[in-house]
Amino acid sequence: IVGVFFFHLSTHETPPVNQNISTILAAPSSDLSSILSDRVTSRWFLLRWISRRTNSNHISTATISAMPPPAASSRYPSPSQPSGKSEVTDLKSQLRQLAGSRAPGVDDSKRDLFKKVISYMTIGIDVSSVFGEMVMCSATSDIVLKKMCYLYVGNYAKGNPDLSLLTINFLQRDCKDEDPMIRGLALRSLCSLRVPNLVEYLLGPLGSGLKDNNSYVRTIAVTGVLKLYHISASTCIDAEFPATLKSLMLHDSDAQVVANCLAALQEIWSLEASHSEEACREKESLLSKPLIYYFLNRIKEFNEWAQCLILELAVKYVPSDSNDIFDIMNLLEDRLQHANGAVVLATVKVFLQLTLSMTDVHQQVYERIKSPLLTLVSSGSPEQSYAILSHLHLLVVRAPFIFASDYKHFYCQYNEPSYVKKLKLEMLTAIANESNTYEIVTELCEYAANVDIEIARESIRAVGKIALQQYDVNAIVDRLLQFLEMEKDYVTAETLVLVKDLLRKHPQWSHDCISVVGGISSKNIQEPKAKAALIWMLGEYAQDMSDAPYILENLIENWEEEHSAEVRLHLLTAAMKCFFKRAPETQKALGIALAAGIADFHQDVHDRALFYYRVLQYDVHVAERVVSPPQQAVSAFADTQSSEIKDRIFDEFNSLSVIYQKPSYIFTDKEHRGPFEFSDELGSTSITPEVSSDIVPAQQFEANDKDLLLSTDEKDDNKGLSSNNGSAYTAPYESSNISSQMQELAISGPAASATTTQSSFDFDDLLGLGLSTAPAPTPSPPLLKLNARAALDPRAFQQKWRQLPISLSQEYSVNPQGIAALTVPQSLIKHMQSHSIHCIASGGQSPNFKFFFFAQKEAEPLDYLTECIINSSSAKAQIKVKADEQSTSQAFATVFETALSKFGMP
Amino acid sequence: MPVAASAIYFLNLRGDVLINRTYRDDVGGNMVDAFRTHIMQTKELGNCPVRQIGGCSFVYMRISNVYIVIVVSSNANVACGFKFVVEAVALFKSYFGGAFDEDAIRNNFVLIYELLDEIMDFGYPQNLSPEILKLYITQEGVRSPFSSKPKDKPVPNATLQVTGAVGWRREGLSYKKNEVFLDIVESVNLLMSSKGNVLRCDVTGKVLMKCFLSGMPDLKLGLNDKLGLEKESEMKSRPAKSGKTIELDDVTFHQCVNLTRFNSEKTVSFVPPDGEFELMKYRITEGVNLPFRVLPTIKELGRTRMEVNVKVKSVFGAKMFALGVVVKIPVPKQTAKTNFQVTSGRAKYNPSIDCLVWKIRKFPGQTESTLSAEIELISTMGEKKSWTRPPIQMEFQVPMFTASGLRVRFLKVWEKSGYNTVEWVRYITKAGSYEIRC
Repeated sequence: IVGVFFFHLSTHETPPVNQNISTILAAPSSDLSSILSDRVTSRWFLLRWISRRTNSNHISTATISAMPPPAASSRYPSPSQPSGKSEVTDLKSQLRQLAGSRAPGVDDSKRDLFKKVISYMTIGIDVSSVFGEMVMCSATSDIVLKKMCYLYVGNYAKGNPDLSLLTINFLQRDCKDEDPMIRGLALRSLCSLRVPNLVEYLLGPLGSGLKDNNSYVRTIAVTGVLKLYHISASTCIDAEFPATLKSLMLHDSDAQVVANCLAALQEIWSLEASHSEEACREKESLLSKPLIYYFLNRIKEFNEWAQCLILELAVKYVPSDSNDIFDIMNLLEDRLQHANGAVVLATVKVFLQLTLSMTDVHQQVYERIKSPLLTLVSSGSPEQSYAILSHLHLLVVRAPFIFASDYKHFYCQYNEPSYVKKLKLEMLTAIANESNTYEIVTELCEYAANVDIEIARESIRAVGKIALQQYDVNAIVDRLLQFLEMEKDYVTAETLVLVKDLLRKHPQWSHDCISVVGGISSKNIQEPKAKAALIWMLGEYAQDMSDAPYILENLIENWEEEHSAEVRLHLLTAAMKCFFKRAPETQKALGIALAAGIADFHQDVHDRALFYYRVLQYDVHVAERVVSPPQQAVSAFADTQSSEIKDRIFDEFNSLSVIYQKPSYIFTDKEHRGPFEFSDELGSTSITPEVSSDIVPAQQFEANDKDLLLSTDEKDDNKGLSSNNGSAYTAPYESSNISSQMQELAISGPAASATTTQSSFDFDDLLGLGLSTAPAPTPSPPLLKLNARAALDPRAFQQKWRQLPISLSQEYSVNPQGIAALTVPQSLIKHMQSHSIHCIASGGQSPNFKFFFFAQKEAEPLDYLTECIINSSSAKAQIKVKADEQSTSQAFATVFETALSKFGMP
Repeated sequence: MPVAASAIYFLNLRGDVLINRTYRDDVGGNMVDAFRTHIMQTKELGNCPVRQIGGCSFVYMRISNVYIVIVVSSNANVACGFKFVVEAVALFKSYFGGAFDEDAIRNNFVLIYELLDEIMDFGYPQNLSPEILKLYITQEGVRSPFSSKPKDKPVPNATLQVTGAVGWRREGLSYKKNEVFLDIVESVNLLMSSKGNVLRCDVTGKVLMKCFLSGMPDLKLGLNDKLGLEKESEMKSRPAKSGKTIELDDVTFHQCVNLTRFNSEKTVSFVPPDGEFELMKYRITEGVNLPFRVLPTIKELGRTRMEVNVKVKSVFGAKMFALGVVVKIPVPKQTAKTNFQVTSGRAKYNPSIDCLVWKIRKFPGQTESTLSAEIELISTMGEKKSWTRPPIQMEFQVPMFTASGLRVRFLKVWEKSGYNTVEWVRYITKAGSYEIRC
């Protein structure tokens, strides 16, 4: 910029200033920084000086604009931006003046003006109104000017399709420039206009770009084809660009061209594959042995990013035999030593996926990749370590024994950010075994005293989890009890919850724990979870704690001060349990509790109190059997994630799924994103940041997360009880006897009749889960006839899919023949079509396929929409059915299942 | 699809956009607002560097006073994204010559736009190597390298170099004096329990090189690592020389190193890029020589007084010395008054970080130094919380010392013109996270 400025000065012929600058420049450059700052300050001074002298001269105004323009924005309060209307009008007139000028130095003035335009654009001022002027000024040979102009055009063309027609001309001309740099840049800008009705102008330049003798232009042209595909797929396919790319990929001498071809073809063909068998074949051909070896043998010629791309391709390759696997692994072994973590991680993925079927080798792979991954964790920024750690976490959870001796690597450093610490804590929990538990727990106890309360809590939870995993919990129980002696609120709270869980699993420890827990004053515990845990223990071990009834009585008397429903519910139950063990001491408290409970505004509390009351009235012994049966130890706590989901995350190694610990369909499919969709309102709320607006979405998110958890739990249940599951939905038939029992139980009550029918569903479900007595066979649904020539356009499908609730979700196993036949989605689509179930969209790669089917009831315009996810490695199919007519969805599911089960059969 | 980014934003600490570049259309324009409201203005910031908001994932990191945010809507490759950001920042730094911060961005925003255009296309990282980019994107940007050349001459295309076997080095370099500078920089990470047991200890080392060599030289580096020595003695069929050998846990190399040859012969051979670069990185966990021992005793005398005694011993060679030694001894928040005595250096109470900061400019080997302090605390009513003692942290630099014991055995330079080279080797050990619990 100083150079530019220099030029202005000389055109202005202001000798004193010029001297000034040259003296600065002539100064011995011993201390560069001081000179630089000198220069800057003097420039500011000079600028002001000039502008005073030569007012009303447009060049001098331009000079002023050469000051780093975004700095101007710092005056404005964040993040609101000025409208900048007057500035834009100003710019417009200045640009107009310069447009036709051919005077020497005009390029520099233009450059300053362009800079100003770009800087306004960056800070969010709408400068689209100078579009015409910018295009007029673009006739220049100055490459920087051109670049700025391209950037501007690329940014605003989409919003101004009519104006962008203006740019086509000069961009097309530039595409034929003798300078390859300009050819390339122009081509890139031309493809970035993103205006659908201008695609016809793209074909010519793209075609010649692909044949250009300069590789720089070719790399850009290749990506240009991909951009064109995203604007208008049909134009791109019709021009047979994919075929051209394929031959370029195989024959071009430039590695970057080849890499871009690969990226573009992968994207185009996987998007095309859903509706074109040819594309499907082409996609498969990318994974053919000769092609994979062609890439892997040349991998060193590619730059690090292209290497990632190739490795990602190699992951999908299905090796023909074990020699094939070892060949590839030998070829790629040295990639694990690459300085770029992304390359290392991609290689790790290849190794893991290739050896999935070979248990011994797979384990050796873990041993081999351990050390490079640990190195990556300890080098680089915390964010990078976090990304790597997340992947390591996945591996650690899959194969804890392999990492058991490396536990020291997962010790937290004091200054590490909490997100790194959390992951490390989880890993320490996962790898704890007989040999290292003592060290790990000792270390975790150190963290319990951490300044960061969240980490302290996490580490206590970690200790608890280890205790629940281990058989020898003796020492850990002591540690936990020591936590209680630390007398810190949050430590006590967390520990209480853990002691409760521990007692549920190992009731034999009750003696040691209860004596300590009994000494804790309930006044010091504020957190609902912890209070609930304490109350549970009071109820469960009332006979061992001498003053249990009195503590409970005290708590019950303060019923009103207890705001959490969870605590109130626990109070009710604990009072009941205590009553059965020590009736005389508790009777009064129980009475108060039941009265308060029945009067409670919270529905669950009210219901439970009423239920207890009625059971007691009916028969105290029945009540005791119901509420306080002999203790049963919980053998294992439910895992939050099914193994299938974990496998799916593993398949998506080296992607966001691992970070989120969710399979990608949950966060990339629109329907799974939950209620919080993006809208323009968001933009407006962002300008006036309010506390409330920040909190609400976060809660929504939490709710959303819980939802997800719930749904996976549900899936788990489904797996175990696929036979029972259907019955839950056709409950009215066989649950009648149960609900009549219920009515017997409930002696009389105002709300009884209203709630029983509702709760009978839950009850039936509960019984189905708890007891293994199979319910009466489901009455076979009437056979459903489907319309063989049903039609539904995708948009209508999407709309319906959004509107309808899920009426059924099930999981089936797919027979091995079916899996074998499912090499491409098309095969299943054809098969289902023969059963009058039509596919509207499909996608995915082995082993995960996803389909959307629809079917129509014969003679009636009622649609059934189905989402079907098939995992070919676990041979499971998950379906979700949405139907216009809910009642027949079960029947449809049966038809669907029958059709699916016939898949692959001769 | 390993898309690394759909859009990239550079924001300052207040959330103003400094630069933004959208590469793919699958993310909307108001994404940055979402980032501001849901991450920057909440406690989320610093909680997790990858967050999802309404279907888009934000992958961000802070570098000096700038947030760099990558937005993606597909299931992107995160490791690649982060690495891309780091590399891009390194590239910008090599262009600005020094710091990367808000001011540097504001002053160079046109250049950054140009670079952003080149280093990524439609979400796929392209070429990020400064050596090559500098050939056709110049800081002044006044002229295209092509247009200034006479037309009949074949255009020396920068991008063609990528395809060559040696993409990271230009041909035809020439220096009057051929010099190589080699720096071995190690950082020691230590976690010691209050009883003096080493809980965790490792060394991460870097070999940094600065090459000013003419032509296309072939370099070979020999270290005293176990594998390399064993292989060498095996090949020359003579017993390995006695002496200390180092077992490297893991090594990664700059792309210029011939990895095939490393794996077969265990020698590090390479054609170096011009100028400064990081040749290799390694990690060692076994046999680490700790340069300092720290022996703290902290006594809490009642509720208002504390006694702190810290002894620091240097255990490296007597002829060496450490520079810039800083020992940070944590004290409770409610510290009112401190009295020190130190045998060397200077100590100060710094209330903003709740630490006694003890600085010793030069610390000779095989000596020891002590700090003893008396601390008076403000008595707080009803404050039951006992003080959670954070660890003592230490900073230092020890020149000519490697905690791992790694040594350069030889550095051979071979070039077809056969010139002589001058090789310079330096060693330095720094503190990484050097923590001692007390």
